[in-house]
Amino acid sequence: MNNRSDLSSRLSPKMKMADAINQYHSLLTVLPRLGIPLGFGEKSVEQLCAEHHVSQTLFTLISRVYIEQDYYPSIEELRQCPMADILHYLQQSHQDYLENKFPHIEQHLNTLLEPMDKKYSTLIANFYQEFKKEVVKHFEYEEKVVFPYMRQMLSENEADNVEHHHKSAFQQQHDDIEDTLNDLTNLLLKYIPAEVSSSERVDMLLDMYALSNDIGKHAMMEDRILLPYIQYLESQSHD
Amino acid sequence: MIKIVIAEPSQMLRSGLACLLRDVPDSEVVFSTDNLNALFSRLPALHADILIINPLLFDYGHRATLRAEFDNYPELRLIGLVTSYLESQQLRQFSGIIELNDDLQRVKSTINLVVNTLQSEGDEPDTDPLSDREKEVLICLSKGLKNNEIADTLNISVHTVITHRKNIVRKTGIKSVAALTVYAILNNLIEEKDII
Repeated sequence: MNNRSDLSSRLSPKMKMADAINQYHSLLTVLPRLGIPLGFGEKSVEQLCAEHHVSQTLFTLISRVYIEQDYYPSIEELRQCPMADILHYLQQSHQDYLENKFPHIEQHLNTLLEPMDKKYSTLIANFYQEFKKEVVKHFEYEEKVVFPYMRQMLSENEADNVEHHHKSAFQQQHDDIEDTLNDLTNLLLKYIPAEVSSSERVDMLLDMYALSNDIGKHAMMEDRILLPYIQYLESQSHD
Repeated sequence: MIKIVIAEPSQMLRSGLACLLRDVPDSEVVFSTDNLNALFSRLPALHADILIINPLLFDYGHRATLRAEFDNYPELRLIGLVTSYLESQQLRQFSGIIELNDDLQRVKSTINLVVNTLQSEGDEPDTDPLSDREKEVLICLSKGLKNNEIADTLNISVHTVITHRKNIVRKTGIKSVAALTVYAILNNLIEEKDII
């Protein structure tokens, strides 16, 4: 009676990396964050992970979050994974968003807004700036509070002298980030007058859908990997 | 609010499941029972969205066609609570399956999946533009008014304000007040100077 498909078997370590990416495009953003450069020829997932000192368990874990809509790794799975590396990955993702993805979208946005009535373009530009401020604030909070807390818990396993945050303090609102990004997407898709360059607009929207998807996965990683693991570590340190 | 009914012979399972479901947001277990008689006598008044039912409540002859017993409730989605082996033909009647060893996350995602199909089927593609009333509510929102203030201004109940807000979000696909304000200005519903 259990016919739920197991995707982990479809993305096996023996698989050629190129095949994996061709099948699951969204994984493309993951590679640079893990320090795996493109141009890998016929090498397998396994070979590339070994070559670039990336834990294969970590690669599988991240890939499954990207590929499987309802993947919730068990604590057992998480325990086999180098958690410090996950933190590093999340931090690399933040950097990627701020240094590449957002500036890219801003470039599109500026071109798009330029021919518009100032009254409207300023409005949208301001909305975007406010949104970006929220995102930066959210990332900073994670990097200054959540990640160090977890690192500390990882390093002193019986974390008695660690000041315990209430775990709900970490139940962050990345939902808001996704929602606002979707709001912006809808504004640009539906309500900006038609005379604005359509190819620029299409490019921008495609980028925004991709970013929204990626940020969604990022949020899933925090909700389904980071928070449960922090709770697990906390429960261990109380025993 | 998603209204859930549970029909399951074992009290332990009923209570356990109801307990898990407390963590499913925007949902409520409105009735739970161990027998079909009680279920069918209460169902008409409950306006339930989801029925989580153990197929074993039906005798073998009716099990494969149990969906037909709920023909009077076309809106109702069935989730099978599976405690023993069932033939796939029987399982196919359900929009989702909950198994004994499912954890909270799995139960949540099953329910979400079923709820999402519920919503997408229920949502007629809404191509109407905003109604005059909805526009008025939107203007108030953009000016920073709270629900109760909007209710006072427009002389309608807070409940009605909330309904209008839901419709605005559904039609525009825009959730945040900040973005709705941008929408209002782009559509010349308000002037920028009207915003505080």
